Amino acid sequence: MFKLNLKIALRNLFKNKGYAAINIGGLAIGLTAFVLLLLFVNHEANYDKWSPELKNVYQVREYHDFFTPDNKQYWQQINESRIAGVLKEKVPQFKYVTKASRGWGDGYSIKIDRNAPVIVKDIVDADSLFFKVFPYQFINGDGSTAMNEPNTIVLKQSVAIQLFGTDKVVGKQLKLVRWRSDEGNLMTITGVVKNPSASESLAFTAVIHTGEREKDPDQISSSNYTGIYAKTEKQIDTNVLNKTLLNVYTDYKKALLKARGETFNDFYKAKSRKPGLKVLPLSEVYSNPSFSENWLDKIKPIIALSIFLLIISVINFVNLATAQSVQRAKEVGVKKVLGAYKKQLVLQFLIESAIQTLSALFITIILVELLLPSFSSHFDVQLSFWHSNHLLPIIAQLFGLFVFITLLAGFYPAIILAKYNPVKVLKGNYESSFKGMALRNGLVVLQFIIAVTFIIGIGVMYKQNSYMANKDLGFDRDKLINISTNYDTDDPFVESVKRIAGVKYVATTTQVMGNTFNTPRELTFNNQKFDINAVTVTMDALPALGVKVISGRIFAKEYAQDTINSVVINQAAANLLGKNLVGKTFTSGSNKDVFQIVGVIKNYNNESFEKAVLPTIYKVTHLGGSSNTNNLLVRFDNDHYQSAIKTIEAEWKKVYPDFPMMYTSVEDSFQKELKPSLRLMQIVVLFSVISVILSLLGLFALSTFMAKRRTKEIAIRKILGASNLELINMLNRSFLILVIIANLISWPIAFILTRKWLEGFAYRIEMPFWPFAIATLTSVIIAILTVSLQARKAAVNNPVDALKYE
Amino acid sequence: MIELKNIEKYYANKGVKSYILRHVTTSIKQGEFISIMGPSGAGKSTLLNILGMLEEPTYGEYHFMGEDVTAMNERKRIELYRNHIGFVFQAYHLIDEMTVAENIEAPLLYKKIPGAERKSRIADVLDRFNMVAKKDLFPNQLSGGQQQLVGIARALVAQPSIILADEPTGNLQSAQAEQIMDLFKKLNEEEGITILQVTHSEKNAQYGNRILTIEDGVIKEDVSVNN
Repeated sequence: MFKLNLKIALRNLFKNKGYAAINIGGLAIGLTAFVLLLLFVNHEANYDKWSPELKNVYQVREYHDFFTPDNKQYWQQINESRIAGVLKEKVPQFKYVTKASRGWGDGYSIKIDRNAPVIVKDIVDADSLFFKVFPYQFINGDGSTAMNEPNTIVLKQSVAIQLFGTDKVVGKQLKLVRWRSDEGNLMTITGVVKNPSASESLAFTAVIHTGEREKDPDQISSSNYTGIYAKTEKQIDTNVLNKTLLNVYTDYKKALLKARGETFNDFYKAKSRKPGLKVLPLSEVYSNPSFSENWLDKIKPIIALSIFLLIISVINFVNLATAQSVQRAKEVGVKKVLGAYKKQLVLQFLIESAIQTLSALFITIILVELLLPSFSSHFDVQLSFWHSNHLLPIIAQLFGLFVFITLLAGFYPAIILAKYNPVKVLKGNYESSFKGMALRNGLVVLQFIIAVTFIIGIGVMYKQNSYMANKDLGFDRDKLINISTNYDTDDPFVESVKRIAGVKYVATTTQVMGNTFNTPRELTFNNQKFDINAVTVTMDALPALGVKVISGRIFAKEYAQDTINSVVINQAAANLLGKNLVGKTFTSGSNKDVFQIVGVIKNYNNESFEKAVLPTIYKVTHLGGSSNTNNLLVRFDNDHYQSAIKTIEAEWKKVYPDFPMMYTSVEDSFQKELKPSLRLMQIVVLFSVISVILSLLGLFALSTFMAKRRTKEIAIRKILGASNLELINMLNRSFLILVIIANLISWPIAFILTRKWLEGFAYRIEMPFWPFAIATLTSVIIAILTVSLQARKAAVNNPVDALKYE
Repeated sequence: MIELKNIEKYYANKGVKSYILRHVTTSIKQGEFISIMGPSGAGKSTLLNILGMLEEPTYGEYHFMGEDVTAMNERKRIELYRNHIGFVFQAYHLIDEMTVAENIEAPLLYKKIPGAERKSRIADVLDRFNMVAKKDLFPNQLSGGQQQLVGIARALVAQPSIILADEPTGNLQSAQAEQIMDLFKKLNEEEGITILQVTHSEKNAQYGNRILTIEDGVIKEDVSVNN
């Protein structure tokens, strides 16, 4: 019987090729988006799961406000380095505690023999216990002794091959230059480790052992920050452990603050800070970044989109299957008369759905394979399907999806079909028992709600994106590049750059788009205390950025005091402090240094538009600020500055032969800030187009059936004198009502969703009206066109044929 | 074989009962060939459907081979007619997506008859109806008379004790109709299969040995035919 049912199913598919294609193709498209997402989720969820031993590895996180984007406390992955020693001593559950951190900046320079230096990113500096905690597999070298000596380096296999062309490199030496003026260390390669099968939150290209991670700063007043990882004997209850850790940390902090001449109460209570130290299982590290949203929150909109797309394609499937059921009514009736149970019939139709779902899934797999490369590059991830190391779970998930879709799409039509009353069907009047009309209309409405909401979404996103791309940033981002290096006053490189033709300004700041370093500062103004963001700049930085002065002046060489205690504040700070600020003074710092406000500038954006500009003071001196900026702004005075950059690079090579120069244009940094929302918009556009096409295909097929079903009615009306146009209108009307209802429902939904999205931006547009109007107009017009295409066919037929057929 | 006692069928519409069948009481014996006659809308088909257990009477008793059908659950009923009743329809009602052989096989599948026996029975029936050459054709490739032959073959292959035929020749030309009626007669006489047909044709009714005439839901006449 199964064989026969299978045969019937296939014959039916071939008989209705067009509908089968719409059904299977539509489902395949919906599934493709979903499966791509599934692969992405699998990839993200598999961070740090490449070895069973990693279950016993924990990351230590300290709750502090050093180096945070808004100067508030966060659970940070970098901890004060002394904590590692304290944990080793006080927490017996930890078998090994290791300190490991990725280097600052954009990478280290590696020089092999006389070759040109290359920048290698993500080099981790660790103490000797690193490989005791992380169970990397050594291909060459001995893991237990690799990190014993200072000036040793362990490479990842892929990196070894990239640098040397082979992984048999143990014993070789390379020169590691960590910053441009670093003399460089000769490092001996002591091991090569295999690239693990899953992603790592502490991804590295190489692990170096400089010996610096072994020690803490000598002076009690200075701190060094590092990542700390610990390994336990067996899995532990982190809740219990974290209570112990908090106590250990509090005791340690009390002692440390006492040694520094501060009190615990002053440091925490008075500033409403809280002490905190905890561990996180390594598997949870990636999904809990310190500052940004985790990956799941980031892709939530995309998850929602792909689910909607899947729903649309499933709806198509259900609609077409139930509409088509009329054709199968006789088969059901006859089978029932021949003695089939309802259950057998339901099963038969479920099997048919399963065949279609399975075909869709095969197409999906092909599409996924084809789309994966561009999808991967779009999202900056390395996704793979067949070569995935968790292929088995993925296949299990696909099977689950297959069963779910089969049931979701097939169950209702199967029930509808199996319900046909044989007596009615065999008498030939089953059309009056045509079931599921209301439900099908409801589903069409739902489809169009989704499609229209998508279209409105595109409109709003487009407006916001073009607003952001064209918004006045408050500074001039043209002809401005940012070289990754520090600005030292007696630096021969900086002096030579200043002399290059075409260079207008050379300056540095701690705050520029693409690399912002916010430092909190407390100041007293009019006897009131304010928390404010402090930015250290050189004299030329504000002119180099091209900021706009609102009142007073910006720094200039003519004013000697500017390098001592002049500050410029931005509009946000001015709003905070009051009016008529130019010339006023405030005090700041433990020595109660006096600063004078010399000017107010317009706010300028140095981060993405999701964040509001912080109230900021700008100062030139080193008092209370850092010049360790890693930003060297160079402004050119004309558009043809490529040759000037060449000259700058040549100068760099003369001064720093062992460290390549790295730079970005500020325009590129700006585009990078826009990228996430642009990327989301591209996906929404893609999904909307697909969803609209799917909805229309569904509507097209449905109207075909509807026209067929009403053949007799149309013929009679025609004989009674209806014109073709009137008949087309009649057929259009029922669908048009559905589309309009869908529009009315999707307006508020789209309004709420897009407003929520807009609220994520500190700088945003007012809710525009025209996307709503356009979405409605488009949906109505294309719905009419689609239905008319079918209606016309039915209307121009000769009525005699239709009636003879009956 | 079949006992009907006071069978009534009506639809209640806004408190008004519209009767299809009233006080139908009759019995059908094994081996009879009965024709049900009457004008359109008299309730002939409804009676046939009730006998075939496709419809339930609103009231009354129906015993099939000594068992009370009205008291049975659906599963039991399906079991019963699967094994004992074969249907033949005016519009043939073959499944369009199945070949001739597959159409004939269908009832055997539901009876869970093993594959080897299915094959031999289908071969047997095809042979008897001279349709071996047509076994792989689809219904729309056959003439009306041929389709009805397949319909009868399908009813017979399950070896029912009674065949219910609703105007089996209604869609056929007279020559083909005669052929079908001869076949029924032969089945009735040679194999002892009970046959119950609804017909409009006086001539076709004469093939049987008993005629029930129904008017307005009531049995008006019940006469034996001697031929």
